[in-house]
Amino acid sequence: MIRPAQAASGALRQGLRAGYATAALVAAGLLAAAVFPLVAGGYYVRIVTGIYMFGVLASAWNLIGGYTGYPDFGGAAFLGIGAYTTGILLGQHHWPFAGALLAGCLLAAAVAAGMGVLLLRLRGHYFAISTLGFLLVLQQLAANLGITGGGSGMNLPVARSFTGFYYWMLGVLAVAVAVGEAFPRSRAGYALAAIRENQDAAQVLGIEPLPYKILAYATNAFFFGAVGGVYAYWFTFIDPPTVFNIDFSIQAVVMCLFGGPATSLGPVVGAIVLKSLDTILTNVSLFLHNVFFGALVCLLVVFAPRGLAELVRAPEGLWAAIRAELREHRI
Amino acid sequence: MFGRLTAVDRVDLAVEPGEIVGLIGPNGAGKSTLINVITGIEPPTAGSVVFDGQRLDGLRPAAIARLGVARTFQIAQPFRHMTVRQNVAVPALFRGRSAPRVSHALREADAILETVGLGPKRDFPAHALTTPDLRRLELAKALALRPRLVLLDEVMAGLTPAEVNEAMELLRRLHGDGLTLLVVEHVLRAVMGLCHRVVVLHYGRKIAEGPPARVTEDPAVIAAYVGTRAATR
Amino acid sequence: MSPELQVALQNAVNGLLIGGTYATVAVGFSLVWGLLNVVNLAHGALVMLGAYITYWLFTAYHLDPLLALPVAGATLFAFGYPLQRVVINQVIRASFFITFLLTFGLELLITNLALAAWTADVRSVTTAYSGWGLPVGPIVLPVVRGAAFGVAVAVAAVLHVLLTRTRLGSAIRATASDVEAARLMGIPVAHVYAVTFALASASAGVAGGLISLSFPIFPAMGASYTFIAFVVCALGGLGSVTGALLGGLLFGLLQTYAADWLGPNFDNIVAFSALILILLVRPAGLFGRARRFRG
Repeated sequence: MIRPAQAASGALRQGLRAGYATAALVAAGLLAAAVFPLVAGGYYVRIVTGIYMFGVLASAWNLIGGYTGYPDFGGAAFLGIGAYTTGILLGQHHWPFAGALLAGCLLAAAVAAGMGVLLLRLRGHYFAISTLGFLLVLQQLAANLGITGGGSGMNLPVARSFTGFYYWMLGVLAVAVAVGEAFPRSRAGYALAAIRENQDAAQVLGIEPLPYKILAYATNAFFFGAVGGVYAYWFTFIDPPTVFNIDFSIQAVVMCLFGGPATSLGPVVGAIVLKSLDTILTNVSLFLHNVFFGALVCLLVVFAPRGLAELVRAPEGLWAAIRAELREHRI
Repeated sequence: MFGRLTAVDRVDLAVEPGEIVGLIGPNGAGKSTLINVITGIEPPTAGSVVFDGQRLDGLRPAAIARLGVARTFQIAQPFRHMTVRQNVAVPALFRGRSAPRVSHALREADAILETVGLGPKRDFPAHALTTPDLRRLELAKALALRPRLVLLDEVMAGLTPAEVNEAMELLRRLHGDGLTLLVVEHVLRAVMGLCHRVVVLHYGRKIAEGPPARVTEDPAVIAAYVGTRAATR
Repeated sequence: MSPELQVALQNAVNGLLIGGTYATVAVGFSLVWGLLNVVNLAHGALVMLGAYITYWLFTAYHLDPLLALPVAGATLFAFGYPLQRVVINQVIRASFFITFLLTFGLELLITNLALAAWTADVRSVTTAYSGWGLPVGPIVLPVVRGAAFGVAVAVAAVLHVLLTRTRLGSAIRATASDVEAARLMGIPVAHVYAVTFALASASAGVAGGLISLSFPIFPAMGASYTFIAFVVCALGGLGSVTGALLGGLLFGLLQTYAADWLGPNFDNIVAFSALILILLVRPAGLFGRARRFRG
């Protein structure tokens, strides 16, 4: 949803005050995040880095899935591209990490733009399954090409300490959230909102849909690629089934839906809650965490298809809102 | 043509700048299809559409909109979850070379909303509007494109006589400001009161053309609307 | 006969035969999509279940896989009915995205429960006749795939008759074309939906059994088969048994020739490219009826 810009000066002043308050909160949050590794143990730093990682994925997915309305299930394809690009440039050509990471992001975005020309003409199911197919294709390619090390995977140089990754992931998250915040108020954001609401009407009002959809898709790919690059250096070993793994896409989708795709922080909240739950569950059983996600998706979809945030905010109360959703959707 | 159904059959239609031309005909005569062809939503099977010396057929709808041809939809197509103001800001943002920044577009939207009489409702979500207001919104969106030609697809349908009068007044004002209008209508009072010239379609063919008074007395037109026996009575 | 022609002919035979199996994989998916307007991402998982049922019956009770097929089908029927009735029916009138996500969640659940229960070890079903081939003129007819083809045709025939010549079939088709009208005529639509899905699941189960004869079995195998089902539907159109059959045969041929040309490791690429090409050129599928999508 788009938040209308402030109009009257009274509202403007109030907005500025709210703006100052938000800015203060954001600054405080960033400060806390910055000092966190200095006070917390390595185990917790790693967990929080994982949370940041999914925060980025969920926010990025929101751009293509939430705002544009194109459910991309193949985002992990771009994560893999980022991972392998970083791996090759860093490990085999000894680029500095920052350069390798950026190259990975840009390549992922470029591939998305190219594939988008084909895929974004499709609607609904076709788009979703095609993105899945694309992911499968890349996985298969990576397993069979020499440059990626084939099925045996690729090793990256070991970094000196872990803390760097925490800050890299935090940085990427900050950028992702900023983009997600600025986006709906921008021209592109308006275009995509119009396209999502009613593509035919948008077209007769001067909006050519494809370039905007590609922009959203490529931006989404950029961030997935960024995560892939950091992930590769962090885990020092990647292979096709690990990085071209649909789990990344699934979790991004679920977290975004859980937190509510309507706001820029919703996906991040979803990531925080679900990733924490996931970490606890993984300690209990390795298989359980996907079972949990599967069950969660089913429950969410049946009882809260517009995201938990909308449900909680519903004026008629949680139960009534749930019952209303069911009545509307069941046979 | 749609498969074996000819929706519009060799219709020759010309609109001069500054005119208000009416397009009437019984349901299914092909009026909406004609509008869809002009605005690029349907491609013509044969023939061409020329606007100010430039061919429109084959262009994408967005390009046609940016050339200055705007339309309203018979069934209003607002962006339901956006506010009225945001709805109108959209075309203002994408009309082409003179497109402003978001903040300017919103201010422009406010001005246009005042013109059509939707000013007080500008922060309403579009899905909360009444039918006459939705029509105004359609018109406002068309105006935000800064068009030279506006195609109005049955804007008067379902309006009370008082609302029809208001609409006619508004359209006259807009025409006075330099707009050319092609008005597809069933409400004959509006056609008679507004149009300089009327074209009648029936089963996809043009069966009459001329000043409103003369066209509505044309036996062929009457026959098309009410059946041959009434015409010959 | 020249060796090239012989190879081409053998590929054609192999392709058609395996195409029958693919058709069986796809027919349930196509019916659910065409008749219920649900894209069942868990379809591959149902195929996987059918494969495992066949495997366990063979390994534990030495039941020949071809005889185990009806058991797999019946079990999946019993599994699919409550799945639709209790779960999917809750959201069936919502947007496609919702049902899509739901079946996605179901896929996760089923696949990972299978993973927990049976581990990721790859299994296969090897019978005494697994490697047999019947020489027919210049080519060799692989017995297993030939039998699978026969089963595929039988399944298609049964479904076709069921849908076109029984009261149940009429009810299913009526509900598919207009739910409200069907309800007003007294058709128990929730039940009809559930039966349709159950039939589709049963065919998926049988398909899984057929798959187990020729391909490796592991919990995550479902995704590939869902994707194959999708491509077959793109090729053959939605909601018709003949479409699934023709699409499956075509895909089988396509994949066999491509495997010969590119090697067996690139089958996903072939499928994906075929899919994209079809969707861009003829979104209704080569034989299907047009379903209008905007944009």
